[in-house]
Amino acid sequence: MKTVTLKINGTEHTAEVSPRTLLVHLIRENFSMTGTHIGCDTSSCGACTILIDGKSAKSCTILAVQADGTEIITVEGLATAEGLHPIQEGFHLNHALHCGFCTAGVMLRAVELLEKNPNPTEEEIRWGISGNLCRCTGYNNIVKAIQWASAKMQGKELPSTEPVFV
Amino acid sequence: MTQNPKPRKKKHSLNIDAPLHVTGRTIYLDDMPELGGTLYAKVYYSPYAHASITSIDYSEARQQPGIIDIIDHSRIPGENQIGGIIPDEPLLAVDELHFIGMPILIIVSTDELNAHKASQLIKLEVEEKEVIVDVEEAYRRRSFLSAPIHFSLGDAEHAFTDCAHVFEGSASSGGQEHVYLEPQGAYAIPQQQGMKIFSSTQGPTAVQHTVAKVLGWSMNLIEVDVNRIGGGFGGKEDQASPWAAMAALAAHICQRPVKLILERGEDLQMTGKRHPYQSHYKIGLDTSGKIIAFEARYLQNGGAAADLSPAVLQRTLFHSTNSYYIPHVRISAYSCRTNLPPNTAFRGFGGPQGMYVMEAALDHAATALDIEVHDIQRKNLLYESAEFPYGQLAEACAAQHCWDEAVESYDLSGSMKKIEDYNAAHQWSKKGLSLMPICFGISFTNTMMNQARALVHVYHDGSVGISTGAVEMGQGVSSKMIQVAAGCFGLPHEHIKLESTNTTRVANTSPSAASATADLNGKALQDACSQIIHRLQDLLRDQWSLTEADELQIDNASAYVAGTDHLMSWQELVTLAFQQRVNLSAKGHYATPTIHFNKETSKGIPFAYHVYGTAITTCTVDCLRGNYELDKVQIVHDFGSSMNRAVDLGQIEGGLAQGIGWMTMEELIYNDKGQLKSGNLANYKIPDIYSVPKEVQVQYLNTPGAELAINKSKAVGEPPLMYGIGAYFAIHQAIKRFNPQAVIPYSAPMTTEKVLLALYSKRDSE
Repeated sequence: MKTVTLKINGTEHTAEVSPRTLLVHLIRENFSMTGTHIGCDTSSCGACTILIDGKSAKSCTILAVQADGTEIITVEGLATAEGLHPIQEGFHLNHALHCGFCTAGVMLRAVELLEKNPNPTEEEIRWGISGNLCRCTGYNNIVKAIQWASAKMQGKELPSTEPVFV
Repeated sequence: MTQNPKPRKKKHSLNIDAPLHVTGRTIYLDDMPELGGTLYAKVYYSPYAHASITSIDYSEARQQPGIIDIIDHSRIPGENQIGGIIPDEPLLAVDELHFIGMPILIIVSTDELNAHKASQLIKLEVEEKEVIVDVEEAYRRRSFLSAPIHFSLGDAEHAFTDCAHVFEGSASSGGQEHVYLEPQGAYAIPQQQGMKIFSSTQGPTAVQHTVAKVLGWSMNLIEVDVNRIGGGFGGKEDQASPWAAMAALAAHICQRPVKLILERGEDLQMTGKRHPYQSHYKIGLDTSGKIIAFEARYLQNGGAAADLSPAVLQRTLFHSTNSYYIPHVRISAYSCRTNLPPNTAFRGFGGPQGMYVMEAALDHAATALDIEVHDIQRKNLLYESAEFPYGQLAEACAAQHCWDEAVESYDLSGSMKKIEDYNAAHQWSKKGLSLMPICFGISFTNTMMNQARALVHVYHDGSVGISTGAVEMGQGVSSKMIQVAAGCFGLPHEHIKLESTNTTRVANTSPSAASATADLNGKALQDACSQIIHRLQDLLRDQWSLTEADELQIDNASAYVAGTDHLMSWQELVTLAFQQRVNLSAKGHYATPTIHFNKETSKGIPFAYHVYGTAITTCTVDCLRGNYELDKVQIVHDFGSSMNRAVDLGQIEGGLAQGIGWMTMEELIYNDKGQLKSGNLANYKIPDIYSVPKEVQVQYLNTPGAELAINKSKAVGEPPLMYGIGAYFAIHQAIKRFNPQAVIPYSAPMTTEKVLLALYSKRDSE
């Protein structure tokens, strides 16, 4: 067994894990944070995406011991005492989720995207989340949600969140 | 005089689940806190597609640390049978293996790793048998899962002799894996009496019934609870049951809670998919392009057991003429037994497969006659009171309305001109365009299933709890149920809580399927709410000594009589009712009226109503590489009077993407040993963000809506999937712009490889 110490959503956690334990299992099972999901076990779908030291990563294919000493943000750590993170508001208001299973992963990927590129073009957003699969939405509203969050984070005028019909 | 409260603005884009999803507080099956002593079950499944077991030895596996038990078929106290329509499928194999992935043993362990290790120590010896994967081979051998189904209208046989043009050909469509992002699973917990099962299922009652049968218990001893599921798409309509039954069996034998959740790879190997079809068509037209006669034979690859195949097969025939009126029709469908996992429900339920063949036949005719396919399509669209091959007449038919709106508002002729210009200017890149009209019948085609119930409690503090048989799987039915109850009681939605779907609160549910969940459960919910409202009205009429003429309103969280001083808050009203011992709970029931269907004659009125629409799809094909992009899809859709435009628009966009996936890129590959070669999400590709159209436009067609739809808001779950068929034919069009002599078999999905072959294909010695 190995001792792993890491900071998750600002709080330090320590656990004894076997060397084969996956990071996603450590987060979900040892620390009971179940907002990070396991969709494919093979880093294809991105439902398990979290931030490790600010960088998005698919936690189903990272060993827990590899994350020793890192700072991790999961979906549970996005909101603050002041309220929801703009990306959370964006996904909510733009109906960018149906079943919700992929949502946490896509949002965390988008958080990193917006940190690095606060004002991405639509193409940059598409490229940015091309590693995450959603089986329900068809992605359009996910793009809109990220555009909305980008506007909100920069204090720009907010795009309409009403469903758009021709 | 009292100022009556102003009506609230209607919430057209409520998504009741969104706050949970964005904060990670949603509880899916695997997110539930586990009880102490919980065990984990792993399924040991057949690595052979067809074989007889000669010996199986799991004694060494049983000795593995952490292994609590290994359970085979002999330990099943009830029936070893999970077939829903036809009892032809054991839960655990006895001595015959019929597909790769067929469950044989349940390994029960204290942790998943040991279960995995144990599974590798099991020694299975078999006598291998001939494997049939190909549906035509199964048909040749008359290997059927159920009786063939025939529909007919008019006199097709003689009508063909009157046709100026007759074309025959074949069309095949591939299967499709559901890829609900939450895999199959269940958590069974022994109770002091019976068993409680948390299941990721669209059909709680199906799970309850299956578990009861397997355990040999009565249904009242099985409680099934579904909080929500992370996607279903039909894959959890019937095929959630075996995992629940295995978890329950293990929990019963071990007398401990047992959790069974499939890994993605296991899920892909063991579960059934959308049925692949191989079909033959014959279409006859007159000189003006009117379709006079249509004949088709559909061979459905059902896999190794019937599952829902007979019902899926029937829906293929219901939708075989898509959105067209054809006076003479003779069609037959055969469900063929092969050595694939039993194929099952998938959004559209056989309808898309039928509609694809129709469109292929039209494309064939247009190509041969060298005319635009949309000229034939438009000429034959359904009209009011036109007869479907099953005897129902088209009512409030919006087929032509949708088409004409699409052509006009999206400027079809302008788009075609632009495409022509583009194609003239580009040698190695070509654009193509297609129109895809859809018509989809709403109701379970098994009339009995068109019923639902709901349970409503108004608590004495004024808050409301509602239960229905609907399962939330992302389709937004939770939001719609909250809207229905809030509308009935005249309360803000925050006052309403939707409970989990639980068989002890709402029994004998139909699965959340057939696009009908909101209609059926919503109407049952309206019934329950209005019973309570009527009791409250009676109380107030008595309390305020009202006459029949007084207009008593319960709305805006209050009760009042227009033009008088009578006013009471909802809270006061409920308190009064409780004090007066008025029943504040009600059970609602709904059964779709008017529908019926005679299976012997294949005639009746199976559908409460039809949903119509038209999609114009434009694509660009890279003629050097065979890659393609979908530029845009422009849709006119018949929503009726949508009660939640955000949810409904989301269903259009999501359904379209899934249909495009089925038609273009999602390719299930089995080898001749019945082995799935596309067995993980790295080589079975569902649409990512670059595979969906760059632009989707949806026009909201204003129609009155159907009375049998909840709040006249038409069902929207399945119909948009069929817009995806348009992508297939748009790609065909682009290929023909590059190579007018191209020979393109009607074979979906239209993968990049097939596109490349078609681009450089030539007609034989012409």
